Amino acid sequence: MPDMRFAPPNPLRIADRASGLNATSVRSYNERLVLSLLLQNQSTTRLEIGERTGLSAQTVSVLVRSLEQEGLVAKGEAQKGRVGPPTVPIVLNSEGAFSIGISVGNRRTDVVLIDFVGKVRFHTMLANPKVNRSTNHSEFLNTIRKAISMLPKKARERLAGVGLALPYSFSSGRDQEGYFNALQIEIEEHLGVSVFVQNDITAAVSGESMFGVAKPLSDYMYFYLGANLHGRLVLNHQIYNGNSPLSFDVGMAALEKELAKHRQPLEPLWERTGSWPDYGDLLIAWEGRLIDQMAQSLESVSQFVEFETVVLSSYAPPEICGDICRKLEAQTGVRAVAGNITPSPKAVGAASLPFSSRFIVE
Amino acid sequence: MRTVLCYGDSNTHGQIPGGLTLDRYAFHERWPGVLDRELGNDWRVIEEGLSGRTTVHDDPIEGPGKNGRTYLRPCLMSHAPLDLVIMMLGTNDLKTRFHQPPSEVAMGIGCLIHDIKELAPGPGGHVPEILIVSPPPMLDDIKAWAGIFRDAPQKSRELALQLEIMADSQEVHFFDSDSVVACDTLDGFHINRDAHEKLGIALAREVELIGWK
Repeated sequence: MPDMRFAPPNPLRIADRASGLNATSVRSYNERLVLSLLLQNQSTTRLEIGERTGLSAQTVSVLVRSLEQEGLVAKGEAQKGRVGPPTVPIVLNSEGAFSIGISVGNRRTDVVLIDFVGKVRFHTMLANPKVNRSTNHSEFLNTIRKAISMLPKKARERLAGVGLALPYSFSSGRDQEGYFNALQIEIEEHLGVSVFVQNDITAAVSGESMFGVAKPLSDYMYFYLGANLHGRLVLNHQIYNGNSPLSFDVGMAALEKELAKHRQPLEPLWERTGSWPDYGDLLIAWEGRLIDQMAQSLESVSQFVEFETVVLSSYAPPEICGDICRKLEAQTGVRAVAGNITPSPKAVGAASLPFSSRFIVE
Repeated sequence: MRTVLCYGDSNTHGQIPGGLTLDRYAFHERWPGVLDRELGNDWRVIEEGLSGRTTVHDDPIEGPGKNGRTYLRPCLMSHAPLDLVIMMLGTNDLKTRFHQPPSEVAMGIGCLIHDIKELAPGPGGHVPEILIVSPPPMLDDIKAWAGIFRDAPQKSRELALQLEIMADSQEVHFFDSDSVVACDTLDGFHINRDAHEKLGIALAREVELIGWK
């Protein structure tokens, strides 16, 4: 029997010099733990990682070196402390991984490419895929193929995957989880890329919490303002759907109806140019109905849980969202902040799914 | 006050490239001295660099004193408590007389790591932090030493990866000196004053990165 203390080295990680992204299978739990901390915070240090994970300084050193070599993390700029030597933070390397997000919307499909820090590198809108109830996937294959073909070579080599965000209507009448799983498996088989399917509103929450204003928040009420108004509750970073896919007809579709009655231009509502024409009293009246609905939802939820913040995401112009937040805050006393993910919170949220699935531990 | 032990061979001792046996850089020029300057008053640096030191071998020609394993234990005990042990060894194991492939040299380092952990000469009887530094690869032209170090330059270039695998396996810190310094052309396997300066600075930053409360 050989002395097992001197068995051949069995490294904690694969000490190689390969340039691509490692397969999911070889990424250890601890590596994902470190990446989770980085995706959930702006930056961190090896000391902080050790304190928050309970891993030894030496183990953290091995993990960070591994992630550095893989190009996922980098040394940040040295920060001068009040005492002692400057600390060098560890930050995510924006070029370390890329992700495609596809969100099938009310009228069009948004496609974004984001980098590892959530910056949108590319955005386009495509026609919505046709729904064909006899197959699961075919309607999405071309959209995804097209999105991948538009990527620069570097992003294709370091693509973490494709996130697909679907509205409730796509899965209505079927078991949502089963449908999403089947879809994922079929698309992966056809295209050979990792695919993650999620409800679009839930995806938008993920995006806002990974890259947007909700990053420092753990408990909040989330509203998505699209054609309709949707709500989600987030407690300790977990997203709760509620029992029904309830949405309220006080969103931009309701505004559109009002505007149509008064022969106002409708296209700007859906154009995402960052501003709307002056709709005057019609806008103010609509905002009032919207805010009443939000306040009502807040009131019912606050019977059961306490939260300090409301987050509102939308592709409506930022000043409109800001205005709604201010009025809501005045009416309810709860702090309200507008999301800062543009141009499509759902598509960016979809793109965050491959990152959270591959790099974050629950 | 923290204490670091720098355990190495002639490139820790400060042997001057192409010089005579007794030619040695001054303390402030050698990398442990540079490290001492860079880390400031919070750290005490102990130098333990011996020319010809191997990882675990008694040298049949130079004598058993060059064995890095037998000397390590009393050395650690002499200087305990140690917060950090930096080890840069392996080049001498590549001498023709030892017939070692790079992976075996790494096994020797693994053995030393094991001994440190077993002895636990850190504060309060804990295991100190351990930083393995892969020695700078030898140049192809090693002058009169080509016979003593037959095939060693090639092997020395593979050593860093083997040492890193061992460091990862044992979960200790690792630094590749090749990323900041190269050997001097005068003899092809010793580092000069400029390289000592760069290595000392780089290692000081590595030591700080470990994070000390």
